[in-house]
This record gives sequence, C-alpha cells and structure tokens, in this order.
Amino acid sequence: MKGRLPWIAPAMVLLLALSIFPLIYSLKLGLKPAHFERMFHDRLFHIALWQTLLFTALALIAEFVLGLSLALLIDGLGRAARLFRAGLLMPMLLPPVVAAVAWRLIFNPQFGVLNGTLKGFGLDTSHLTWTNGEGAALLCVVLVDIWEWTPFLFLLLSAGLQSLPQEPLEAARVDGASWWQTTRDITLPLLKPVVLLALLLRSMDLMRIFDQIFILTQGGPGFATETVSLYIYRTAFRFGNFGYAAAMSFVMLAITTVMARSLMRVMKTK
Amino acid sequence: MIHSQNVTIRRLTALLLAALLAGCGKSSNPTPSLTIAVNAGVEGTALKTAAQEWGRQNATRIEVVELPYNNLFEKLLMDLTSRTGSYDVVMMDDPWFPKLVEGGNLTPLPEDPAGDFIRSCLDVCRHPYQAGKYYALPYVGNSQLFFYRKDLFDKYHLAPPDTWDQVLTAAKTIQAKEKMYGYVARAAPGNAVVTDFMPILWAFGGNILNADGDPAINTVNGVAALRLMIELGKYSPPGYAGFNADEVSAHLLQATAPMSINWPAWIAAMDDPARSKVVGKIDFAQVPSAMKKGQAELGTWLLGVPSGSRNADRAFQFITWATAPEQMKTAALRGNPPTRRSVFESADLKQKFRAFPAQLASLETARPRPRTPLWNEIENAFGIYLSKANAGSMTPQEAMKRAQDEIEAILRRSQ
Amino acid sequence: MKRAAQFAVATVALLAALAPVYWLITISLKQEGDQFAVPPLWFHFAPTVQHYLKAFQSGAFTRYFANSIVTATASTVLALLLGVPAAYGLSRFPWPKLSFWILSTRMLPPIVTIIPVFLMLREAHLLNSLAGLTIVYTGFNLPFVVWMMQSFFDDVPRDLEEAAMLDGESRFGAFLRIVLPLVTPGLSATAVFCLIVAWNEFLFALILTQTESAMTMPVGIAAQVTQYEIKWGAMSAAGVAAMVPVLLFATAAQKYLVRGLSLGAVKG
Repeated sequence: MKGRLPWIAPAMVLLLALSIFPLIYSLKLGLKPAHFERMFHDRLFHIALWQTLLFTALALIAEFVLGLSLALLIDGLGRAARLFRAGLLMPMLLPPVVAAVAWRLIFNPQFGVLNGTLKGFGLDTSHLTWTNGEGAALLCVVLVDIWEWTPFLFLLLSAGLQSLPQEPLEAARVDGASWWQTTRDITLPLLKPVVLLALLLRSMDLMRIFDQIFILTQGGPGFATETVSLYIYRTAFRFGNFGYAAAMSFVMLAITTVMARSLMRVMKTK
Repeated sequence: MIHSQNVTIRRLTALLLAALLAGCGKSSNPTPSLTIAVNAGVEGTALKTAAQEWGRQNATRIEVVELPYNNLFEKLLMDLTSRTGSYDVVMMDDPWFPKLVEGGNLTPLPEDPAGDFIRSCLDVCRHPYQAGKYYALPYVGNSQLFFYRKDLFDKYHLAPPDTWDQVLTAAKTIQAKEKMYGYVARAAPGNAVVTDFMPILWAFGGNILNADGDPAINTVNGVAALRLMIELGKYSPPGYAGFNADEVSAHLLQATAPMSINWPAWIAAMDDPARSKVVGKIDFAQVPSAMKKGQAELGTWLLGVPSGSRNADRAFQFITWATAPEQMKTAALRGNPPTRRSVFESADLKQKFRAFPAQLASLETARPRPRTPLWNEIENAFGIYLSKANAGSMTPQEAMKRAQDEIEAILRRSQ
Repeated sequence: MKRAAQFAVATVALLAALAPVYWLITISLKQEGDQFAVPPLWFHFAPTVQHYLKAFQSGAFTRYFANSIVTATASTVLALLLGVPAAYGLSRFPWPKLSFWILSTRMLPPIVTIIPVFLMLREAHLLNSLAGLTIVYTGFNLPFVVWMMQSFFDDVPRDLEEAAMLDGESRFGAFLRIVLPLVTPGLSATAVFCLIVAWNEFLFALILTQTESAMTMPVGIAAQVTQYEIKWGAMSAAGVAAMVPVLLFATAAQKYLVRGLSLGAVKG
C-alpha cells in the first residue's frame, strides 16, 4: 500500500480538485426538490432530452452501419487501404468547431455551396432551408455528425477486423462459404467486443453533444435542434439559473453513468 | 539517453513555467488600457472606430472584444455578476439593461447626463425606469421604422402605409402585379421574431405584461396581432420563419420584397449603390397603426461601466467623450443613428441623411420593451412559440396560450 | 464485390470525407464575390490571401493561435508530469477500483462540472486567464494519460526494473532509467492525444475566457458567426489555420490512434 502512494498522490490531488470537488459543489447547488419538480413540468427540458436521444440514436446507427461497411470494404483493398484510411480519418481529427463551420458554409440557404450547386442545376432552392428550417434542421445536424464521426467507427472496427484470427476465415473459405456468409457467421460475431466498445464510446459522446450544434444552429431554429447540453448552458449562462442547470446536469450524469458502467463491463471482459 | 531525457524534461518545465507566467503576468501592464465589449454587427462598428480614435488621442491601448449578439449578453452577464473586471466599457441592448444593472453590477454615472439627449433614450438608462439614477449613456439611437418602396406605392396609387390593413392591401397588390413578394418579415425564434412582432402587438392594443406586471398576451388582441403577422407572412418569401435582420434587408436591397419593419442601421445600405438595387426608392415611415396608434419599438444601445472595472475613471471619460455632440455627429457620418436632438436637426446632416426627420419622430415616441430582468427568458420562450406559429406548426391561439403559460411560469419561479 | 467496384465506392467515400474540408480551404482563398458564385467555383477562381492577412494581421487570430498553443502544450506537459508516475504506480501496484474511478472521471459530461469549475475559478481569480484554462485542460487530460500509459506500462515486464532494484537501484531510478525509455512511443502518442484534445476544446474555453488575452482558436472562430452576417473569409481562414496543427499532431501519432481512441482497449 505504501509503495504506490507517492506515485499516484499528485495526480489524485488534481483530479479530486477538478472532478470530485466540482461534483460535490454541483450537488449542493442542484439537489433541491424544487428543481426536480420544475424539471418534471419543464416541457422544454423534456423536448431537449427527447431530441438528444433521437439525435444519438440516428447518428449512432448511421455511423455504425457506414463505419462497418467502410471497414469491411477498405479491409479488402490490400496495400491501397493505407492511403484510403489516412484520408477517411480527416473529418474526425478536425476541431469540431471547424467541422461545424465548414458545414455552415455548405448549408447556408442563400450563400452555401449545397443550394448553390442545386441552383446551378436549375432547381428552385427557395424552400430548401436546411439548418434554417425547423423540419430538416435536426437531420442536418445528424448528417454533420455522421460525416465527422463515421471515421471513428471505421477506424475502430478496421483495427478490430485486422486483429481477428485468420484461421476461422481461412477455414470458411476452404469450405466454399460466400463472402456474405463468412462475414455474417464468423467475422461479425468475433467483432462483437470491439463493436460494443465503439458503440458505447460513441453514444456517450453523442449524448453530450455541444460544439457542433452551438455553431450550426445554436439550438434553433426555435427549439428544433436543442439538446440537453445546450439547454443547460443556456439556463446557466443566459438566464443565470445555476441551480436548476446543475440539477439538470445530474440527470445527464445519471444517464451517462449507466452507459459508462456498461462500457466498463465490456472493456473488462477483453 | 538519460542526458537527453533530462534536457527534455528541463526544456518542458521551462516552457510550462513560461506558459504559466504568460497567463499570470497579464496584469502588470505599463500602458493605460481600456477594454470595450461591443456587438459584432453594424451597431458596434461606429463605436469601435470611435474607441480607436480616442485611444490614439489619449495614449491609451484599446482592446475591443466583438461578440455576436447572444454571446455578448452571456459574456456581459458573466463578467458583471462575477465582477471579473475583464471589460471596462460594455455595449448593452436596452432590453438587457434591467438584468445587467441588478445587484449594483454597473457603476452609476458620476454626474447626470446633460444636454439634448432624447428623452426615450435617457429613460432606459435609469434604474428604476424613468425615475432612478443613471447607469449608462445612450449611443445608438435605434427605433423602428417602416421601410417601403414609395415608387411602387405611387405606381399603383396605394394608400400610404399608415395602418396595417393598408399594408396588407399594398402587399397583396404588389405581389400580384410585380415580380416580387408582397412583404418580408423575420420570424427566426428569439430576438428576431419578438422584435418584429412587438409593434404589431402594441398597435392591436396588446401587451406582454399588464399594469400589474402579470402576463397579458393571451388576449383577443394578442391573437389578432399574431394572425396579422401570419397573414403578412403569406406574402413573404418562403423560409421567413428562419429569417434574421440580414435576410430581410437582403430582400429589400435586391428588390425582391417591397416593405418591412426595419432598423435605421440599415438605411445607409438602402441608398448605397454598391449594395442596393433600389437606391432612392425606399421611403421611411412611422410604424403603422391599427386600433392604437403605431409605436416604434425602442432598441437603443447603451454604454455602461461595470462595477468590477479597474479603469472606471478612464471608462467614464471615454463614454462621455463618445456621446458628446461633436462625436455623435462624427459617428452619425459613419452611419450610427444618434441619440441627441441637435445632431438630428443639424442642417448639413439632414441634407445628407434624408431619413433623419422620420428617425427623430420615431425615436421620440418609441416605446421600450418591458423593463424586467426576466426579459431574456421571456423573449426566449415567447420567441419559440411565435416562430412556430409563423412556421405553421401551431395555431395562433395555441401559440399565445403556450407562451402565456410559459411566461407565467417564469414570473412565478422568480418570486 | 469486384475489385474495381470496391475501389470506386472507396473513392466516393474518400471524396465525401474530403470535399467539405476542401471547400472550406477554397472559401478561405476566394475573393468575396467568388465565394457565393452560382454555380459554385470548385477550381477556377483567382486566389487571394486577404482573408488570412485580415484574420492574422489586423484580426486577433494570431493571439488566439498563440493562446491555443500555450494552453495545449502546458496542459499536456502538466498532465504527463502528473499522470505518467501515477500510471506507473497503478501498473506496478494494481488498484482496479481506483483505475476505474479515474477513467470514469473522463466520462463525466463537461456540462456537469462546468458550472462549479466556473465558480471555483472565479473565486481564485483565474477566470479569463491562460493559467486557469491550462489547469482545467490538465484535469481533462490526466485521466486519459493515466489510463493510456498504464496500458503501455503493463506491456513492460517487471523483471527489468526488479533486476535493477536488486542491484541497489531505487524504484524511482529504475523507473526513470529503465522503464521510461521503453515506453517513449507510448509517451509521444499520449502527448499527441492530449494536445489534440486541448486544441479542439470549445465549451470550457467559451465560458472561461472573456477577452483576447485568453481566448483560443475555437472561441475566436465561433465569434465570427454573428447574428446578422457570417464573416466567411475570416472564419474559413481561421478554420484552416486551426486544422493544420491537429493534422500534424495526428500524423505523428497515427500508429497509436486506435489505442488512444479506444482508451487502450483495442491495440490497433
């Protein structure tokens, strides 16, 4: 016991100061029955929560399907795979603010390149309001996240694919199984731990999405793209209700703790 | 290998210390300085230039922090309530004033403002409203005007836009006979839609809060006002439910819409050949009436000094200088709407700015938004439902009812 | 699927990944009139560097860039100084519960801690300062450093340092002279990850900084998105500038990208 203390003490002190202490402070601020009662009736909070879950679900499914498809595809390309991999990673490395800025340029109804290209083909784009229109705004934001983070899933699943034992696959090939059969019956089941890991990591990041939405729509138009993080931010820093904001952030914490625990369990079984 | 590691460690530690020192050492600055927080938009431009000039004249280093509207409010709120003293002079939209002046977070003016400031602009600088001490000086004399294509009104012998009914008739006519929309409104949620809606609400005899300070929007008048706005929206370009001020002005400038409520800051662009296809064709009238006489909405920008500022004297020197008659005139020549009568009435400026008489008339009778520190929350909630009603996803009655409920909840919570 | 078709699809995916970035770069190099041309100009335009000049010479972006560099570097160094010994300690004296707890702090949604952190820094008069931001970023990166480096230390067999200690070497000495050199690749990769995280960070920088002296690149870029208009030129120039260091960092650490992203679980 004594041996490890000097090694870990300095780190522990900082973590206690920056993680545990704020958490306790937050508890003091937010854990009041009045706040939870308000949360129960706060229609806007419910909408924000719903939209966050919807956003997470849509983005996660799309990113997984695309990421897996890309991983399987690139895996079979041999030497050229490295080149493709390097290029495909770029969206994920950008500062999220920069990615959001790039997509604002694309989506802007008057000046953006999306409507500009469509106009060039002769289409009437006056109804295509993308991030400015309540209907499509959330989907546009999901699209941006898909663009930005599919590489993450692609990378993880690709690494997983490459670390798979080759014998079962060889055996299947010798037995004459088709590509699809091999993939469905052998590859995917073997990949399960990595898949779970990737899904959990990504879903936790999706739940607390902030940067991109702040830049793309600031939660608008209206409330169409408001997520929990944004609502908490606005409650604290535009309306000055720190206590209520802290209370809401606990609900967020509870949800992500459940997710984190599942993640830990998966990682432990590796 | 060990040696190089030690060297690396030493180098890194040195870099770290340097970094920390860089962060800590900012307070020991020999040159006098002044930090000004302004709105990143047309309103902030004139102040920025004035500040640089003053800085040169007084050997003071000026740092201008330009922030977008919403973020400016958030930053000001944070700085003022925390007394961090990061800003010496802050530019505030007048609806923000009741919240920002709370708790003694703004320093009162050392002496009452003298001279010919317009009454409505001065009133919003006082806490309590119209009665208390002065905590700011008005810099941008913004109050709404009705922009319309006089040439088209003459062409079709349309009655001038004195009432909203006449506006609607004109919109229908022009849309039918010309290749353009009949009107352009902005209904992006939040500040945009609420600001555009207020004059209509007031003209219909509606109010956000009644005399007792209780929410009063869900009334027959209120719903009727929203109905009119949606009706005008039918003649607006599609997607207007997401428009902000620049989309509105863009449509006016590009001659794709003939009229709108707008702010004086955009007048200069209308007559600028580089940006406008309608030079000289736009006229500026008072806000239209309905059951009640039209009242323009006040939107002055005020200059205040936070209590946490470490350069308060210098800050007051600057804002007094900036709002003095000569400087107001210079700022006016740079496109800033003034807040002093003498500037509006000066002969040479009247010649240059044909809308000055209209601006002055509007400013003198302008009405500010409710003076409550909860305005931001109220505007946020109200804006969501107004925008939804304009987007067609909610009926006007439903929108007003929901908005009223929400505002009631906001007021109740603050007790 | 036939090889040619595979390549075609992969190429489409690659173009989809790179096109928005390419567009951003072109906007930053186009004259204002060209930026919104219909049909859009993908290749044929007269380039200009005015936006870069405006952003960096007369604008505040040089300051923002410097601030980003300082906070990213300083917080990385601090996180390594504190975290590497802790990782070693946890590797040689396992304490699973503590390791778990350290990792779980990485899972905290930032919005949960931001309000107390804001209030704490306010009390300490560290708001709007590079020092304050550096401390916060160190707090972010520390759990990651511990977790990552622990996995690297676990890969180093104990016999080496134990042999040295039998010869009279202290544990710290053995750590410094024998174990540390063996994990240098892991150190570099971890350092790069910390740099990337701190460089890209937005929320805390947005809330904890108020003036040019402390604002970072992401905050500066966000400030170009105003209510009335978007300063496309400055925004894109700054965006491109902000991209470059991250891409350089990432290229340096590409071998360990997978391990870092999966928090050590998948050894890519």
